[in-house]
Amino acid sequence: MSGRADTALRAPGIAGETARGIARGPRLALLGILAICQRAYLTLWRQPVLIISTMLFPIIYLAVLGNALNRQLVNVPLAVVDEAGNSLAAECRRGVMALQSGRNLVVATFPADRDEALKDLKRGHYRGVWILPYGLSPKGPAPAFIGDNTDRFSYETVESALAEIWGEVTGVRRVAAAPARLEAYPYLDYLTYLGPAVVCLAIFMGSMVAGGLQVIEDRMYGYHEGYLVTPVSTGAIVTGHMLAGTLVAGLAGALVLVVIMLFTPLPMATPEALGGGLVTVFLTALAISALWFLLFSRAKKTSVLRGMFGIINVLVFFPSGALYPVESYPKWLKLISDADPLTYGVAALRDLLLRGESIQTCYPEWLFLLTFSLVCGVLTQVLFRREV
Amino acid sequence: MTATAANPIEAENLTKRFGDVVADDAVSFAVRPGETYGLLGPNGAGKTTLVRMLTTLLRPTSGTARVAGYDVVRSKSDVRASIGTVSQAETTDENLTVRENLSVQGKMYGLWGKALSERIERRLSQVGLWEKRGQITKTLSGGMRRRLEIARGVLHSPHILFLDEPTSGLDPQSRRAVWDMLHELKEHDGALAIVLTTHAMDEANFLCDRLAIMDRGRILCEDAPEALKRSLPTGERVEIETDRAIDPSVRDAILALGAVNWRAPSPTAAQFEARPGEGIGRRAAELVEERGYRILHMTIAPVTLEDVFFAYTGRALRETA
Repeated sequence: MSGRADTALRAPGIAGETARGIARGPRLALLGILAICQRAYLTLWRQPVLIISTMLFPIIYLAVLGNALNRQLVNVPLAVVDEAGNSLAAECRRGVMALQSGRNLVVATFPADRDEALKDLKRGHYRGVWILPYGLSPKGPAPAFIGDNTDRFSYETVESALAEIWGEVTGVRRVAAAPARLEAYPYLDYLTYLGPAVVCLAIFMGSMVAGGLQVIEDRMYGYHEGYLVTPVSTGAIVTGHMLAGTLVAGLAGALVLVVIMLFTPLPMATPEALGGGLVTVFLTALAISALWFLLFSRAKKTSVLRGMFGIINVLVFFPSGALYPVESYPKWLKLISDADPLTYGVAALRDLLLRGESIQTCYPEWLFLLTFSLVCGVLTQVLFRREV
Repeated sequence: MTATAANPIEAENLTKRFGDVVADDAVSFAVRPGETYGLLGPNGAGKTTLVRMLTTLLRPTSGTARVAGYDVVRSKSDVRASIGTVSQAETTDENLTVRENLSVQGKMYGLWGKALSERIERRLSQVGLWEKRGQITKTLSGGMRRRLEIARGVLHSPHILFLDEPTSGLDPQSRRAVWDMLHELKEHDGALAIVLTTHAMDEANFLCDRLAIMDRGRILCEDAPEALKRSLPTGERVEIETDRAIDPSVRDAILALGAVNWRAPSPTAAQFEARPGEGIGRRAAELVEERGYRILHMTIAPVTLEDVFFAYTGRALRETA
């Protein structure tokens, strides 16, 4: 070897040249991993558009979906036809007025003619018509609700509110014992419930942009050749790419977590929970990056990613329980959900930040995420081609 | 290890097939220490495939090659540690600065810390980019970008540098700058062996100590550029125009010197070809003047590598390129 080293002592007088200075073995592997991460990190800050769009998508998602689904029902147009004209009917009308001025649930009008009211219902002027028939009394005849059931949600809400009024005025409710209802955790609106899911969405997007897409682009534009001809081992290159994706995706996830906390404070965000949350964010980022890299370990064109993005999005994000509880899935969907790293990320984040569970409760999820990353990494290394 | 004694590159019957297409067909050649070796040929001649096999980016279908004494199939990692490559692709990240690009690449060769930063400074100065070190790479001109690629290729002081079409797509000035830079690299580093592919004869002529002319996956001939040119039986083109009609006896005398392919575009003018390097054109001119003619106009066009390529393939290099 010494003979070979001597030929490298070429440039006179330069300290760096007096030895080849080429590390081998684990040191070289570490430097290789560091190099790939360094590039990803530098590239990220040179393209702020990238990180902003990566973060913006999940936040807009939260703002739109959260607010669209979270809103309480208000201003539902309701017609009340009072054919009875007795004191009971007057009480019912007062109840409706209270519903209007209090919860703002309905906008009530009081047409005299039932046929006219029903015609207007069909024309879409009302979502419901409440008829108080002649001779209204607790023993019957009772009020009738005819509602626009194309909109199931407002139909059921208004119907139950009116049933409650009828119960009040006839005194039924006072007889029945109210069922006990206790909330195990502090009140959460849907927006807060979505928080962890949105963090995971940011991770998902970030790892796609920095992990999958970057690797394919490197291959397309030839940058990859620069890696392949170096003495760094394939394992180190694969690890480097996975960690680079993790770095970017984890940062995106952490930033979104901070943004969410500013707008919808998470109830259990103690420093401990936040620390655990960050660990979860980075482990989820690792698992998702590993998944992207595995999927694109052989892809040579970005069109592959464009084609697959929708499918992967649906297969990874939606089954994760980010939006709906996992328990209610059918069996086949449950299987996908069980294998989906995002499921575990979302679950761990909810445990920590919404339920205030201790970090130990997340260990199984963390273990799954680590194992998942490891398996993907090993598979990628097998599939990864060192040739062009 | 006998690597230093042996040639930096020794290829034997290196063959690469892509399905039915034979990109390289039993190519054998050797590069000597400190030599600049050129692979000249049209696009599709198999040059890039050959370089990719030697740089471990492609596995040969058959045949063997040793680079820096290491087998390109069995000891890939050692080969990679011994070579630097500048490929046709851009392997520098356009979003990074000049310096950052080298910092990333240096680590891939196990360089680190002070040794790395000193090398970066030295190599960037060598390629004339030290002043541009803080500039984002995408703002560099094509020529500067190529020089950065070359700095990246030699950052770790490889034994062998592979350059795949180092000046394709560059304007004449940038080409010249790259050539000068490569010359300078060799001056600083006499033991560095360079293998370059090109389809430009002037480049091969200027840069290479020896070169192989390739076509259709085979090496047609291999030697120093001058030797290749001289080896041709013809090629030097001479044109003489005199003040009066050239007598057939003069023609015969010139043909007796070794001139061939005699043509007379007009009675007072003659065109012929001659073996290069024997001064036949000059001797013909002397002969004409001795016979009392006055030479009005005379040109001697030297042989080019283009002629060599033509002599071996019957096609012009440009046509096939």
